[in-house]
Amino acid sequence: MANMKKLFILIMIMSWSFGLTGNELVQKMEDRITPNDSKVDMVMTLTNKKGKSRSSSLRSITKDDGAKQIIWFLSPADDKGVSFLKIEHDDKDDEMRMWLPAFKKIRRISAKKRSDSFMGSDMSYEDMSTRQLDEFNFKILGDEIFQGVPCHLLESKPKEHIRTEYSRHITWVDSTLFIPLKEESYDKTGKLLKEKYFTYKVIKKYHILTEVHVTNIQKNHSTTLKFENIELDRGVEDSFFHERYLKRLPK
Amino acid sequence: MNMLPKDIDSRRIWDEVIEDFKYTDFLFVAFGNSGENILNPDALALVWELTEKFENIPHVDEVISVTTMNRMDSKDGFLEVDDLMPQKHLTDEEVISISNYLKNNSNISSRILSKEGDYINIVLRPKNDNDFPGLVAAVYDITAPYQHQFEFHFGGQPHLTGAIPELIKTETQQLMLLGLFIMAAILLINLRSIPAVGMVLSVIFLSALSMMGFMGWVYHLTQTPRFSFSMVNTSMPIVLLTIANSDGVHIISRFFREARKHKDVKKALTMTMNQLMLPVFLTSLTTTAAFLTMVSSPISTMTGYGATIGFGIMWAWVLSSTYLPAVINLKKWDMNNAAIKQPSILEKLIHRFGRSLLNYPKQVFLTGFLIVAVSSIGIWYINVEVNIINLFKPGHEIRESTLFLDREMAGSMNLILKVEGDLKDPEVLNKMIDIQDYISAFPTVNTTFSIADVIKEMHKSIMDNDPAYETIPDTRGKINNLFTMYSMSGDPDDFEALVDYEYETGLITAMMQSVSTKEIVIMADQIDVYIEEMGTEVLTTETSGMMMFLKDFTTLIVQSSINSILLSIVIILFITWIFFRHWKFGLLSVIPLTSAVILNFGLMGWFGIDLSHFTALLTSIIIGVGVDFAIHYISEFIYYSKNGIGADEISRRVVDDVGYPILLDVFSNMGFGALIASSLIPLVHMGGLMIFAMISTSLGTLTILASLMEINKHNLIKLGNG
Repeated sequence: MANMKKLFILIMIMSWSFGLTGNELVQKMEDRITPNDSKVDMVMTLTNKKGKSRSSSLRSITKDDGAKQIIWFLSPADDKGVSFLKIEHDDKDDEMRMWLPAFKKIRRISAKKRSDSFMGSDMSYEDMSTRQLDEFNFKILGDEIFQGVPCHLLESKPKEHIRTEYSRHITWVDSTLFIPLKEESYDKTGKLLKEKYFTYKVIKKYHILTEVHVTNIQKNHSTTLKFENIELDRGVEDSFFHERYLKRLPK
Repeated sequence: MNMLPKDIDSRRIWDEVIEDFKYTDFLFVAFGNSGENILNPDALALVWELTEKFENIPHVDEVISVTTMNRMDSKDGFLEVDDLMPQKHLTDEEVISISNYLKNNSNISSRILSKEGDYINIVLRPKNDNDFPGLVAAVYDITAPYQHQFEFHFGGQPHLTGAIPELIKTETQQLMLLGLFIMAAILLINLRSIPAVGMVLSVIFLSALSMMGFMGWVYHLTQTPRFSFSMVNTSMPIVLLTIANSDGVHIISRFFREARKHKDVKKALTMTMNQLMLPVFLTSLTTTAAFLTMVSSPISTMTGYGATIGFGIMWAWVLSSTYLPAVINLKKWDMNNAAIKQPSILEKLIHRFGRSLLNYPKQVFLTGFLIVAVSSIGIWYINVEVNIINLFKPGHEIRESTLFLDREMAGSMNLILKVEGDLKDPEVLNKMIDIQDYISAFPTVNTTFSIADVIKEMHKSIMDNDPAYETIPDTRGKINNLFTMYSMSGDPDDFEALVDYEYETGLITAMMQSVSTKEIVIMADQIDVYIEEMGTEVLTTETSGMMMFLKDFTTLIVQSSINSILLSIVIILFITWIFFRHWKFGLLSVIPLTSAVILNFGLMGWFGIDLSHFTALLTSIIIGVGVDFAIHYISEFIYYSKNGIGADEISRRVVDDVGYPILLDVFSNMGFGALIASSLIPLVHMGGLMIFAMISTSLGTLTILASLMEINKHNLIKLGNG
C-alpha cells in the first residue's frame, strides 16, 4: 500500500513537472525561501581511510545564503581562537581573512583553486558554492525515489570555460521542496569522486541543513558536518562581517 | 618486499612507513636536451601531457611534477596557495613566473629541474611494489613517441627492479641458446655420434620442460607466490641443465666404453645400468635433498626454487633410468663406428692425467689442501653488495641514466628516516632540521625534505616573505596556526607523504646519488650515532628505504644459502654413509664439494667479487655437480673393490672410467660460460661461476678426493668389500 502511495505521488509529480527543464529546476532551487542570516555551531568530523578521526567544533554566522560568513574555531584547544571571514563578490575574487592568534596577525588568504579543500575537509570551495545558470548545462535525467522521497535527477555539466575538478554532478533534488538530498560528483575522467548526503530540518518556515556527509570515494576519506544550536533571522548587519569581529567570539 | 619475513627490521619499518604514509621509493623520468632551456611553453605542455598519462597508469599512486606542485606566495599581505602551473598551455609571462618561483625556491627546483635548467624531472610514486615490470613497461610506452624530440632518462629503484627482469630474461634466453649450442658441439666432438648427443639433450629438455610445467601447475593450483617465477628463479633452468646433463653424459659415455669391450648393445647396456643405477639414483637423491633444504629458507620464493629444482632433478633421474636406456636399446648401433671403437680425445687425456696424478698422491693432496686453506682466508674479505646499479656494466643505458640523474638531478636513490614525536613541537621540528642539515652534509646527498621545510616556508610567507623568518616558529600555537591557515588555502593531502594524520610521525627523505651498500650502511650508522649524541628524548628515528631492505634481503639470502649449504653437506654425508655403508665414504663424498664451496667464497673475497643474492644462489650449482662427481667416483671405487680389482690398479681404473664422463660433463657445461658475454653483471657472474664450479668440483674430485682415496686405498678397498 505504501509503495502504491509513493508510486501515485511520483506519477502526480511527474505529470505536474512534465516539461520542467534542468534550468527551470535550478531556478526553482534558487527561488526557495531561505533565512536572511543564521548562527550555528558546527561539529566537523574527518575520517581517513584507516578509520582515524579528527573532530573540530566551530561557530558560524552567515548572511545572504553564505555569501558572507565568519567562522570561529572552538576546539580542539590548538585551534581555539583562530577565525575566518569570507565575503563573496560577483565581480572580483572572494575576500578571505584569517585571524591567527599565535601570531596576533590577520592574514588575507586566497583560494584561487576552487578545488581546494575547505578547512581540510572533503568539501572544496567549489562544492560549497552555488552553481550558476550561465556556468553549467543542466539537464533532468529522470525521476527516482530516494529514501522514500520522489526526486528529480539533475545532471550539471560545467561549461568549457569553467575551472573545475569535476566533469559532471548528478543531484537527487526533492521534487516538491527543491532541496538536494544526495549528490554524486565525477572527476575529469568520469570516475565517481565524491558522494554527498544532505539532511534537513524545518525550523520556522525554512528547510535548514542539519547534516552533510561527504565521502571522497577515491581517497576513502569522509567528512561529516553537523549543525546544532541553529538560530535564524537574528538581524545580523552587513557591517558585522568585518575583520575586527574576528578577534571576538560571539556568545 | 613480500619475500622478506615480516619480523625483519627493515621490513617492519618499511611496512609501517607505507601504512602511515605512502610508497616512498620513486621512479624518475627526466627529459630535455643538453644546453637548451627546458622551461619553455612546449616542454611544459609535454610535462602536463605526460603527467596526465602517468596518472592514468594503474600502478601509479601520485605523480609529482611542475604541473602538480603548488606555489605559496605572499603578495601585498595575501597568502596564496595556487598551482605552480595552472594550465597546459602557458604564455611566456607565465613561464617566466614559474622560472622565477623555482629560482627562489631551490628546495623545490632541486627536485624537478637539472642544475643547468636543461632537463626536467617527473617523479612517479608507485602504489606498491607488486608489479614494477608492468609500471616500467607502461612508462616506456608513454614516453616512446617523444624520444625523438627529447633525450629521456629513467631512474630510481622501481625502475631498476622493474627493468631488470625483462633484460635478464632476454639476455638469458639468447645466451642460454648459445650455451646449449656450445654444449651440443662439445658433446658431439667427444661422443662423435649425433644420436647420442640427441639422447643426452632430449633428457635435458624433457627434464627442464617438466620442471617448468611442475612449477606452473603448482602455482596454478595453489596460487602461492612461493611458486611464482621471479628474478631469482632465472638461474633455475641453467642449474637443472647442468645437473641433468651429468646423468646423460655418464650413461652414454659408459655405454660406449662397455660397447667397446663387449661388442654387444644389450650386454653393454646391462653392464652400464648395473654400474650406474645406484650412483645415478644417489646423485639425484643427494642433489634433490640439497635443494630441498631451501624449503626451510625464510625467503618465500626460495621454497619454490628448491622444491621445483628438486622435482626437475628427480624427473631427470626417472628419464635417465628408464627413457634413456630404452632409446639406447632401440637404436641400431654400428659397433665398428669410431665413436664406439676408439676412445675420444678427452678419454685419452684423462688416461694420461690419471697416471701422472696417481704417481704423486701425497703431493697432489697437499697442494689441493693448501690451495683450499689459503683461499678460505678470503672469506673474511667478502663484500656484500646489492646496489642494483652495480648489476650493469659501465656504458649500459640504465647505468648511464642513473648516473645522469645522480649528477644532474636530485639523485636516483632515497633514504627515509621515520621520525616519531610531537610534530607540532618547535623543539622536535628544530631537531629534524638539525638532522636534515647533518644528512645534507654527506657529499652523496643532493637534497632533503620534511614537514619542517614546509613549516619554514609557511613561516616566511606569513611574515611577508622575510627570509629571516625562514625558521621554525618558537611556539606550538604558531605552528598550529600555520597548519590551520594552510588547510584554508591548500590541500591537506599535500602533507600526506610528510606527516601522519595525528602529527605524531613524520618522514625525512634524503634524495641522493646511487651509492654502494657499504656506504649506505655506514651512512645509516653515522646518522644513528649523530641522533644518539643529540641526546634528545623528544623524538625517535628509524632508517628505512629500498637500500636498507635490499641489504637485509641479501644478508638473509646469504645466511640462508650458507645454512642451506651446511645442511646439504650434512644430509649428503648421511645419505652416502647409509648407501655406501660406512661413514668414511660419506665423509669422502662431501670433500670435493666442501672444498669447492670454500674455494668459491674464498676466491670471491680475494678477487673482490661482490656477494649478492645472485652469486650466493649460484653456489647451489657447486653442491649439485660437486656431489655428483664424488658419488660417481666413490661408487666406481666400491664397485671395483667388490669385483676384486687390486690396490695397484683400482684408482687408475676408477679415474679412467669416471674421469672421462666428469670431464665431458665439465667441458660441455662450460658452454654456459657464454653468459660472461652478457651486459648484466649477474649473468656474467653466473657464467663465471658456472665455469668455476665445473673446474673446482671436477678438480676437487679428480685431485683431492682421488689422491686421498689413493693414499688410503688399502683400508678403503677393505671397507668397499665389507
